[in-house]
Amino acid sequence: MKHKRFNRSTCYKILSVAVITILAVLFAFPLYWIITGSFKTSAAINATTPQWWPEEWVLANYQKLFSRQYAPLWEIHIPFTGFTFAGPDVPAAIRWLLNTVFMAVAAMLFTCITSAMAGYALAKKRFLGRTLVFSLIVCAMALPKQVILIPLLREMASLELYNTIWAVIFPIVGWPFGVFLMKQFSEGIPGEMMEAAKIDGAGEWKTFYTIALPLIKPGIGALAIFTFINSWNDYFMQLIMLTSTKNLTIPLGIAKLQAENAMDFGLIMAGASLAAIPIIIIFLIFQKYFTKGITMGAVKG
Amino acid sequence: MKKRKIMAMALSCLMVLSAVGCGNGDSGSTSGSAAGTGSSAATNQSSAQAQTGGTEGAEITLWTYPIGKWGDSATVDGLIANFNAVHPEIKVTVEYLDYSNGDDQINTAIEGNQAPDIVLEGPERLVANWGAKGLMVDLADLWTDEAKAAIYESVESACKGSDGVYYEYPLCMTAHTMAINKDIFEAAGAMQYIDEANGTWTTDDFIKAVQAVYDSGQANVGAVYCNGQGGDQGTRALVNNLYGGTFTNAEHTEYTANSEENIKALQLLYDMDGINYDASIVGGDEINMFCNGTLAMAFCWNIAQEKNNLDKINFDVLPMAFPSTGDPKLCGGIWGFGIFNNGDEAKIAAAKTFIDFMANDEKQAVESVKASSYWPVKDLGNIYEGDDLMTEYSKFVPYMGDYYQVVGGWAEARTAWWNMLQQVGSGVDVKTAVEEFVATSNAAANAAQ
Amino acid sequence: MAAEKKNPMSKALVRRETIAGYAFMLPSLVFFLGFVIYPMVQCVITSFFDATMNREDIFIGLANYTELFQDTVFLGALRNTAVIVIVSVPVVCIFSLWVSSVIYDLKGAACSAFRCIFYLPVVTGSVAVTVVWKWMFNNYYGIFNYVGTSTGLLKQNINWLGDERYALGCIILILLTTSVGQPIVLYVSALNNVDQSLVEAAEVDGATKFQCFWKIKWPQIMPTTLYILVITTINSFQCFALIQLLTSGGPNHSTDTIMYYIYYNAFKLYRYGYGNAMGVVLAVIIAVLSAVQFKLAERD
Repeated sequence: MKHKRFNRSTCYKILSVAVITILAVLFAFPLYWIITGSFKTSAAINATTPQWWPEEWVLANYQKLFSRQYAPLWEIHIPFTGFTFAGPDVPAAIRWLLNTVFMAVAAMLFTCITSAMAGYALAKKRFLGRTLVFSLIVCAMALPKQVILIPLLREMASLELYNTIWAVIFPIVGWPFGVFLMKQFSEGIPGEMMEAAKIDGAGEWKTFYTIALPLIKPGIGALAIFTFINSWNDYFMQLIMLTSTKNLTIPLGIAKLQAENAMDFGLIMAGASLAAIPIIIIFLIFQKYFTKGITMGAVKG
Repeated sequence: MKKRKIMAMALSCLMVLSAVGCGNGDSGSTSGSAAGTGSSAATNQSSAQAQTGGTEGAEITLWTYPIGKWGDSATVDGLIANFNAVHPEIKVTVEYLDYSNGDDQINTAIEGNQAPDIVLEGPERLVANWGAKGLMVDLADLWTDEAKAAIYESVESACKGSDGVYYEYPLCMTAHTMAINKDIFEAAGAMQYIDEANGTWTTDDFIKAVQAVYDSGQANVGAVYCNGQGGDQGTRALVNNLYGGTFTNAEHTEYTANSEENIKALQLLYDMDGINYDASIVGGDEINMFCNGTLAMAFCWNIAQEKNNLDKINFDVLPMAFPSTGDPKLCGGIWGFGIFNNGDEAKIAAAKTFIDFMANDEKQAVESVKASSYWPVKDLGNIYEGDDLMTEYSKFVPYMGDYYQVVGGWAEARTAWWNMLQQVGSGVDVKTAVEEFVATSNAAANAAQ
Repeated sequence: MAAEKKNPMSKALVRRETIAGYAFMLPSLVFFLGFVIYPMVQCVITSFFDATMNREDIFIGLANYTELFQDTVFLGALRNTAVIVIVSVPVVCIFSLWVSSVIYDLKGAACSAFRCIFYLPVVTGSVAVTVVWKWMFNNYYGIFNYVGTSTGLLKQNINWLGDERYALGCIILILLTTSVGQPIVLYVSALNNVDQSLVEAAEVDGATKFQCFWKIKWPQIMPTTLYILVITTINSFQCFALIQLLTSGGPNHSTDTIMYYIYYNAFKLYRYGYGNAMGVVLAVIIAVLSAVQFKLAERD
């Protein structure tokens, strides 16, 4: 009896793994197709019978991508003087990549710092209006940013931030999920430790810095990963807020590439590879942290 | 202590990054080297000059739609280099738009207070849309008596708003045609229905030809693309010509697409074998599928399409007028410059200087027009001497019909048009769909007046 | 706990705590109030105006809202959004639970390889992924039609994205592939954390696999399920890039979602007030849904 059941469940298991393997292949296919496609000749890519593996590997698509448009690698603007130091001209796609990295990293840093502080305060400080602030945060959390796009656009215009990377970063930082998450993590800080620090004469900042921060570090890591991925793929905000070629991000750049060269699939694939590969490499390197971060976010969230 | 170090490092990182970020931002309005041209030294210099004010050192932005080679940065850089040889004090930054997202991009930029200074497009946008909304500068200074005398009258009237104000200074024009894949048509024995010398065919012959091609095994003869913006002139001209309908009334005040002729034409296209209403593709996709042989004919065609796609085409392209019962009436395209009123007199003056140079300078005008691969809007002599392709297409210019795209509510009508085609394609009754389109568009036209 | 200890809080202490609290909140509040709350308030205000490009806004009271509920396209968009949410949320949950339950006890490398592959579309980003899907769905030489017709499953090419009947389904399919990555990661770790001794005890008692799962594992992974429900719902509501890049809401508005229709009204028809009214309605719907989900979470 027992033996039979064992067999049946093994059967089920093998069958399921087989099905999941097929599905996994389908999931990986778009990426496979983007990367191989970017090395195909245009004849191969437009062939009515799909060429599953490039017969001839060419770099022409990348050459085309990199020779299309140029932008300075960086521009440092000195406020109030009107002086701008621009870097050497590089292919615009490289600049897009840099913009995207800058955006994601800046959004991540800002979010982590502000959220860690605010979450700590919400969890550990008994201040007036705490409940109000917290309920506002909970309410706003589920709201898609897109709902407020028109007022946000007008606001960015009047702050003269429109068409700057900050117009994308600030709404991400303002999104209150991080504060909520950090509050959940900060709840776990033992009150006794804070009391002890206070008795030792530590000020508010020092208590936060020496006691709370080390304890919520794993939470900050989780939030960092979360914010990084979310902002990397925050296509909508980027679409509304950025216009100049040199200010584009890589997802926006590819979308534009696709619109301009409707069916030059090789070129589009080259752009898509450029967008996908860096983040995939980051993902593979930090895979362990990603899974841990996502899980931790869920447990506390 | 280690932690403090890390924290300090993170903070300094952040500060450096924010410095870079600031650059990212403000440069949008202050520096911005034209793609591929400006070196860093030039950028510094010109932004320093910008502080002195006046036309001296003005920096203007030019946004172009892909009008021939005006959408190609290498070509445009050359044109701007010519301009800077004469006017080194004015710095021009170029952005390239596409027809799928270009309008949205300009509209968000307007709302973001960063509208470009100059836009290169046609009256349907410059005059009927942004001009009518009071966003454009009156170009009366450019429209001197001399200019009025030189520029063709039909072009001039299209560049004026209903208030008589000039919102566009034209550069070039063309007649939008369609094209067929001659190899496929020959193989199917369909060439007998075509007047090859004149590039015309009657509606009946069109029906027979498409049927012949379809019967020869080409399942996709043509596609009435209707996914979105861009290339709508092709579908409009096709529908209007088949039975001699019109898109608007003669005064350009009302949409008349619900006339019997138009309904009959839409129904015909729906019923024909080999022609599909395809909501999954846009005009650009259609062109590409024609060029790679998937489709046997293209409705979104003109001389620039053939020139830009020469390397992709490995068959004989035959440009054709749209099939009609009488004389074909082709949709014209008139492209020129408009200036957004950004409230900066120096920039407006610089923009006018730029337009004047590009469109009126004796040597430059020819080059500017040639870059578009269309025809000049005034007599510049035979600028395409010896260019067989241009000669082949020039036979269509006399078929140019009424330029009705200046009718009010054009932006709304254009989106409604796509939706109407999609409805017809999904099997909605043609009359119902067209009536809805006309009601929406006329409401928008009335609101605009 | 900390609060209990210093329960009789003196006024001075309250003041000190308040100052410190707000000092710590300040950086976050600046962004939150400036870029979330302020625009939200603006959104509500402008929804009562006829706002358009380059003209003073005109107060029109509730006219935007009354028009909204007579606008068949908006109602259609509402329906499409609901369809996307109603289909994708359960499918994502069930599918990811099934995949996780199969892979979680595989040998280490295999499990993480699978997890990684299913997570790939999430990191690749919808824009890059969409580029390929657009080609796969192509009417004339897409891979679905190629495989379908050459294996005889399809009699003729189907215009996947250009046909009212299929377009929304295609969008949902792509959305699913970019949404299951995170739930799978979550379920795998939740299943790994299930108390094994309970499972073993149940097995000794002769419980079937199914009973084991339903009675022991399911309650333990319930919090994870709730979290997945919440994030998937939010994600499905935000589906925009796919629609903008693939169908622009067509054919015949069959893939219009509220999100896309807001964008469409704002930047194609210049109706800012109207778009904002839609935003307000959507926000209310989402708020109600979240409240329900929070109540559910509390009950458990």
